Amino acid sequence: MGLKIIKPGLLSTIQDAGRTAYLDQAVAISGAMDQFSFSLANLLVGNDENEAVIEFTFGGIEILAQSDLLIAFVGAQEFITINEMSVPSHRPVFVPAQSTLKISHQNQGKFSYLAIAGGLDIPLVLESRSTFLTANFGGFKGRALQKGDELTTQESLSETSKNLLKKLKGTQVNFTNWSIPTHQFSAQTQFIRIIKGPELEWFDNLAIADFVSEPYQITDGNRMGVHLSGKLVQRKKSHLQELLSTAVVPGTIQVSGNGALILLMADCQTTGGYPRIGKVIEVDLPKCAQLKTGDQLQFEFISLKEAEKLYLERSKDLQKLKASVQFKSME
Amino acid sequence: MVPDLKKYILHPISEKAISIVFGNQISEAIRQQISRLNRLILANPFLGLLNAIPAYTTLTLFFEPSILLKDTSLKGSTCSEKITFYLAQLENLNQNEAENKSRIIKIPICYEEVFGLDLAELSSIHQLSKEEIIQLHTEAAYPVYMIGFVPGFPYLGGLNPVLNSPRKASPRKVIPAGSVGIAGMQTGIYPLATPGGWQIIGRTPLKLFDAYRQQPSLLKAGDVVKFEPISFTDFQKIYQKEWA
Repeated sequence: MGLKIIKPGLLSTIQDAGRTAYLDQAVAISGAMDQFSFSLANLLVGNDENEAVIEFTFGGIEILAQSDLLIAFVGAQEFITINEMSVPSHRPVFVPAQSTLKISHQNQGKFSYLAIAGGLDIPLVLESRSTFLTANFGGFKGRALQKGDELTTQESLSETSKNLLKKLKGTQVNFTNWSIPTHQFSAQTQFIRIIKGPELEWFDNLAIADFVSEPYQITDGNRMGVHLSGKLVQRKKSHLQELLSTAVVPGTIQVSGNGALILLMADCQTTGGYPRIGKVIEVDLPKCAQLKTGDQLQFEFISLKEAEKLYLERSKDLQKLKASVQFKSME
Repeated sequence: MVPDLKKYILHPISEKAISIVFGNQISEAIRQQISRLNRLILANPFLGLLNAIPAYTTLTLFFEPSILLKDTSLKGSTCSEKITFYLAQLENLNQNEAENKSRIIKIPICYEEVFGLDLAELSSIHQLSKEEIIQLHTEAAYPVYMIGFVPGFPYLGGLNPVLNSPRKASPRKVIPAGSVGIAGMQTGIYPLATPGGWQIIGRTPLKLFDAYRQQPSLLKAGDVVKFEPISFTDFQKIYQKEWA
């Protein structure tokens, strides 16, 4: 039971919800960059939303199904074919053994997620299956997937997975006629909501006004963070002190010595010494993850209370979706 | 001593994390206060608490909001309010369990030239013999303020001011795992081979971090480090056992 990587693409890793149990030992959270798409992919095949999946960066991917598989593909805009036949994303898909799955990048987005019913048989390291590239542990042998790697799937399936499989299984590729809505991609500047950072008042008031009225462009980035180009954010003359290293999280917006912005992502260090002007709210972090070099974003402050409310709503939405997939699998 | 819980301010850094901030100066008193509060919180966690990261002047609590908000025993309607209430309640607890019991961790270090890459440079900077530098370095006790930067990297205090050394003019591309370095008044040990600009004075054969160990990081905030000089032969013996 499993699949074989024929072409791994730019960077393909095993990820789950990430690890928080060892933050005090400076082990990064890691996990899927786009936690929303990751959860959706799992729910679509009847998995627990935190099951390990494969995270792809852009396209150029080719995979051989070594057994019958029930999969779902969610994330960036990609063109997917199975045995050279186009297949839609955002829904459960039955893939017969010996099929070849190809993924090529379209226009928008960066990361996409392949969930397989039952989940991948990957050992837990420090309570998570996520790959942590900096320290070479977790995921598949602590590294990115390479040509020839074989991944096995777990045998036990949830009731939802079994029902979906019963409906779709056959000798041909098959998928449901329903799908779920996901990211709305567009080439426009993305509005990203943030809460204020602990050092916000270190910055000049005019600089803060510019910070939320000017767009920033993604220059480069990786799983640790992205650099943003745009108006530099200057400090108040009275606040040029160094920040003593303290905790940072994915979503933290750091301001470096010259006023440039760095947005921290999943594999970021656990502590940092640059002042934190703000933090991207949890529900908008997946949107940031999907921005690629050249894309633009504009920040907008909201209150912590509102951010907390949106976070709880997102969890509820996922639970509703789980229930509706369960319902549809039995229809 | 009871942690003085009135001297902090709270800074949410995320919907899922809040920092308890004790001023903005590095001090032994604050380090001990954070250490004690950390122990007290971990011994009496609130529902949904995931972890706590101690740093120089902050203790940051990570939690799952959907669990914390269900805890009706804590007053408040938001995570911040509930944690504020929780911290106030902690003051009424018996503090004995939070007594300061630092672990003393002995770390063998070999100062031979193959490992002490910058000993000669430091010797000329400080006008001290290598033996004098080694003496000053091994006689001090180094409290661990925090673990950060990469897994298992300890930020150590306690360096003798005589050894206060500038960073290297150009950083090295790779500093071998186990290297012990000095930068300004900071001293630390590199758990992984990484680039770095610190002055390297020796190397320990111990693994500072191993994901497959019960406690992956050899050191934790609150520990106290003592360096013990060892010979090249002893280094090799320990290294072979540790990295087998």
